[in-house]
Amino acid sequence: MISYDRQAGGSRPLPACPTPPEQQLTPLDTALSVSGLRKSYGDRQVLKGVDFAVAPGELVVLLGANGSGKSTALRCVVGLAEADAGEIRLAGRRLRGLGGAELAKARRAAAMVFQQIHLVRRRSALDNVCAGGLAGLPLSRSLAPAFFPRELRERAMACLQRVGLADRAHDRAGSLSGGQQQRVAVARALCQGAEVLLADEPVSALDPAAATQVMALLAELARRDGLAVAAVLHQPDLAREHADRVIGLVDGEIRLSCHASALSESDIDALYQSEDS
Amino acid sequence: MTTTERPRVPVPARDRKPFYLGVVVVAVVLGAAHVGAWRVTEFSPGALVDGWHGMIRFLGEALPPDLDWASVVQPGLEACLTTLAIGLLGTTLSVPAALLLAVLGTRGRNRVVYQVSRSVMSLLRAVPDVVFALIFVTAVGLGPFAGVLALICHNVGVMGKLWSEAMEEVDPGPADALRVAGARESQVVANAVLPAVVPSLVGLLLYRFDVNVRSSLVLGLVGAGGVGFLINQSIQLFAFDEMATYILMVLVLIIAVDLLSAAVRRRLAE
Repeated sequence: MISYDRQAGGSRPLPACPTPPEQQLTPLDTALSVSGLRKSYGDRQVLKGVDFAVAPGELVVLLGANGSGKSTALRCVVGLAEADAGEIRLAGRRLRGLGGAELAKARRAAAMVFQQIHLVRRRSALDNVCAGGLAGLPLSRSLAPAFFPRELRERAMACLQRVGLADRAHDRAGSLSGGQQQRVAVARALCQGAEVLLADEPVSALDPAAATQVMALLAELARRDGLAVAAVLHQPDLAREHADRVIGLVDGEIRLSCHASALSESDIDALYQSEDS
Repeated sequence: MTTTERPRVPVPARDRKPFYLGVVVVAVVLGAAHVGAWRVTEFSPGALVDGWHGMIRFLGEALPPDLDWASVVQPGLEACLTTLAIGLLGTTLSVPAALLLAVLGTRGRNRVVYQVSRSVMSLLRAVPDVVFALIFVTAVGLGPFAGVLALICHNVGVMGKLWSEAMEEVDPGPADALRVAGARESQVVANAVLPAVVPSLVGLLLYRFDVNVRSSLVLGLVGAGGVGFLINQSIQLFAFDEMATYILMVLVLIIAVDLLSAAVRRRLAE
């Protein structure tokens, strides 16, 4: 069972906030569950045993100061970083014990959106979205966009339509605005066909209007399309406005887990205090 | 505007003293290296001043250039075309091997593969194209074909290295994004790395074309045909006015290739 109430994890206890009813979630209900996740870089412990879970249909926001381990947790899930210990379940499958092709296949259940967007700027929006669906293709059909099968292109078009950019399909990704580029990146993640969507500071490089738009899109993908969405954010206000639940990390430990509506100013202050004091 | 003036603040002392001794050592070593080089090359401005009339005589014989159409200009133009053709084929035909070695020799892949492809490129680079030309002349005889083969061999090494460095500098983000999406390594290269580096790869390709056209001049000196061969011949016959004509042609050829490659690179950068 996953518990969300690890609030008294350090020297400075945080004010209690209401524990969400989802506390009784079992790993089978969740699209993503992480337990006891540990990760060190050299002597520095970035994650000191982190537990959290995301169910289909909800948007969970991870808050915390720089270096609190939020992004590392997401990177461990998709395999951009290797966890030292702990268990990760994606779409009901345990990643531990899997290897090679099986592990890669299980990890495909999670897609990721990045702060730096990471599109290929010289390629069209549609070609970039198609790249999200490369995993199932034989090499001969995936060496250049001209060889992508029609089925993939049409699936990618549907993803672009989902993020509201169908009319920009043939525009070069680099010619789009920052917010549009991030939505193309979201479409690329959708094209992967994942059940879990992870977003690592998806709006940090965007202006406030574009940030709101992208966050609204992520929330909608959770609520309407039933994806399990986890986003690392630096803006508590956006979290309050769009998230279902908020998880707060301090120094690699979860100190806060509550409904977004219950998030108080003192909770937020406590999350960001440790850095400069 | 006195409001913008701020009081002075003393600069805090640094923990680390500037390393004066290191600067002195570097200066002494560099100085000694230059003195040594001066001696080894028998560098002597005096000899240049004393021998100035030799240069004048040489230039006097070279000017005016011999512009006889049938015996000089027409064969010169044809030879220029040969030179250009050697440079073109030598560059183009080295693309597949250079691309393969560049991809395999990019840091972050299998260490053994990386080291092997780096070594192959180093070897090809270390052997000058003139040496390759001499080797191929023994196989296919004197002529432009030996020159093309020589350029291919040397250029694979140089262009492969330049390309792999360009690929290493590319932003790894899009490649990571595709890896997360489950793409295989070959798909990542084709859809994230290559599209991002193609402009710089083409720029380097044009630069190598430029260099290879000039190299094929030198190859002409060892019998690989082209205008270099004519220059060599005219020097051996003491026909310096003919040589001047060929050198003028080479000048025009090089400038034309340079302008062309600069224009294409400008278009690519847009």
